[in-house]
Amino acid sequence: MKTIKGVKISSGVVSGPVFYFERGKFTVPKHFIREEDFDSEFERFNTAIRKSKDELTQVRDLVHNHLDEDHARIIEAQLLAVQDEEMITAVRELMIREKRNVIWAYFEVMDDYEKLLLKTLSQFFKERTADLKDIKKRVIYHLSHEKDIIQPEILKPSIIVAEKMSPGDLMHIDHNLTLGIITRYGGVDSHAGILARAFRVPYISNINMIQEIVSYSEIILDADNEMVLLDITDDIKASYESRIQDFRRHRDNIISDKVANSTKDGVPYHIYLNAGFVDEVRAMDPALIQGIGLFRTEFLCIERNSIPDESEQFHAYKAVLEKMNDLPVVFRVYDFGRDKLLAMLDLEILQEDHVFDEWGGIGFLLDNPEILKAQLRAILRASAYGNTRIMLPLVMFVDEVVRTKEILETIKSELKREGLAFGENIELGAMIETSSVLEELDELAKHVDFFSIGTNDLALFLLGSGRTTGLTKNYYHPKIFRAIDKIIKASNKAGIPVDVCGEMASDPYALIGLTAIGIRSISVSSGALAAVSDEVSKIDVQQCSLLVDSILSADDAFTIYSQLKKFYHEQLE
Amino acid sequence: MVRKEIKILNKHGLHTRPATALVTLISKFKSDVFLEYNGVRVNAKSILGLLVLAVEPGAILIVEANGIDEQEAVDNLDRLAQQKFNLE
Repeated sequence: MKTIKGVKISSGVVSGPVFYFERGKFTVPKHFIREEDFDSEFERFNTAIRKSKDELTQVRDLVHNHLDEDHARIIEAQLLAVQDEEMITAVRELMIREKRNVIWAYFEVMDDYEKLLLKTLSQFFKERTADLKDIKKRVIYHLSHEKDIIQPEILKPSIIVAEKMSPGDLMHIDHNLTLGIITRYGGVDSHAGILARAFRVPYISNINMIQEIVSYSEIILDADNEMVLLDITDDIKASYESRIQDFRRHRDNIISDKVANSTKDGVPYHIYLNAGFVDEVRAMDPALIQGIGLFRTEFLCIERNSIPDESEQFHAYKAVLEKMNDLPVVFRVYDFGRDKLLAMLDLEILQEDHVFDEWGGIGFLLDNPEILKAQLRAILRASAYGNTRIMLPLVMFVDEVVRTKEILETIKSELKREGLAFGENIELGAMIETSSVLEELDELAKHVDFFSIGTNDLALFLLGSGRTTGLTKNYYHPKIFRAIDKIIKASNKAGIPVDVCGEMASDPYALIGLTAIGIRSISVSSGALAAVSDEVSKIDVQQCSLLVDSILSADDAFTIYSQLKKFYHEQLE
Repeated sequence: MVRKEIKILNKHGLHTRPATALVTLISKFKSDVFLEYNGVRVNAKSILGLLVLAVEPGAILIVEANGIDEQEAVDNLDRLAQQKFNLE
């Protein structure tokens, strides 16, 4: 047996055959068209180009205004290429001459350009084929009504092996056929990583011997122990069998019982779901959960490598609301940090970038009102189909909420004029995750219907550490607990609800601390739902409330951590 | 018709960024403009055509323009190439 070590991106254990995934390899639907269908077929092509052009123009302007000139030029090149007259003429001629359908003709023409680029001697030009693949993918997306056209041809459940996996690639792969992922490049914070965790696909990266793995017919991917096992004997396989079975059960059963709605001593408790993908929500049984406490809308953009237009957004939000019946769904409007913008564009990321740039969250959207308006219109229109709430990320100033409310009112009157339905009394909430807004909580509470604490960013703001370095446990810091205590007091005073939707709520020890200081509502990812629900049902609020004083007066994170850990093992196990 | 030789001074030749600048400039003119390199002739308004030419640093291109603003198009392009497409 042989093992190869890697880095865990998403946990789990699976065994299965290998599928080597190459970017931009599609199965092209090929058929001939009748002469009378030519015009409508070509018109579809024009529409696809126009839509791609609109998307790229918006992306280019964003990059130009918020990133830099240099990246904007790359998008500019794609923009020119997507509407290249020579290319369009070549597609048209091929369609006429060979009576081919438009996707087939388009592929062939783009393939010719790629081949010519690959034939050039300079590495510099060879690498540009990546751009052509991106453009092709975008146009094909708009040409194909059925999603499966752009999926690679995986015929049986397999472990996907690739050099690199972009969020876009991952979305186009059938989740049911993806047992696991192994790549050469990719990080824990990458958006492909977030996706893999959302769909509970084991994923390890930093594997240099990709080609060697591909030569094996069956392998074991043990992401928990960060390794790939090749050349597996029957003994090894047998020893792994129970872990593989356990993982499969865990993966298929996101949650098998209704989530807890009260603690051991009967104190009401809300546990909501964090989600970012429509498919993720589709996999949930609404009878078992209490609603979605955080729907991260920017993931729609990452999936699509652009900001979807109003109608596309409307359909996505509507699908989520309909699936949830009448359970509440909190749509957080786009939270574009610089990192997410780069991930959306799928450009090589400058790793040194700080997460909280001077823009991001609602401030960024107010600077780009056309994006905000399209999104709010889409959410409002979707609100006719379910219990809708809107949440604003990274609020820094009360004024940002006031301005957003004005925009909402304008949109409501527009919709009324246009005769479009929307829900009544849509609640508006603010995420409390910046240090500046902590000073304005009482004033802010007058303008919103709820608070939601984003512990990840709050920790970044209060403790000033980067997301990549040592974030893991920094939410045990007394400054964080004291800030949350302050937020709880402000919300109680104003009589509005507060919840925690950050990573902290799914940490078993931290959850005790949060409950001790008064949190009664949390929102966690689907993977954490079952464990968190189990823990809440075992917590005795009266007992854990005894910890309040020592938590809030602690001098350091370690003291708090040890106390909560002790409590957990004594009371809950 | 106007024909002229222009030299590509950019470090990596006529790669994505200078090619983008070239197409953006030429697209503003009404004339048909063509570029010839190593015996291959492409439409200067086509970024894809330009990229597959893979013009190396220091290469000489022949630019040919036909139309009402042909002289202006060629002169502007020549100037832009001399300025390394405002990139370096």
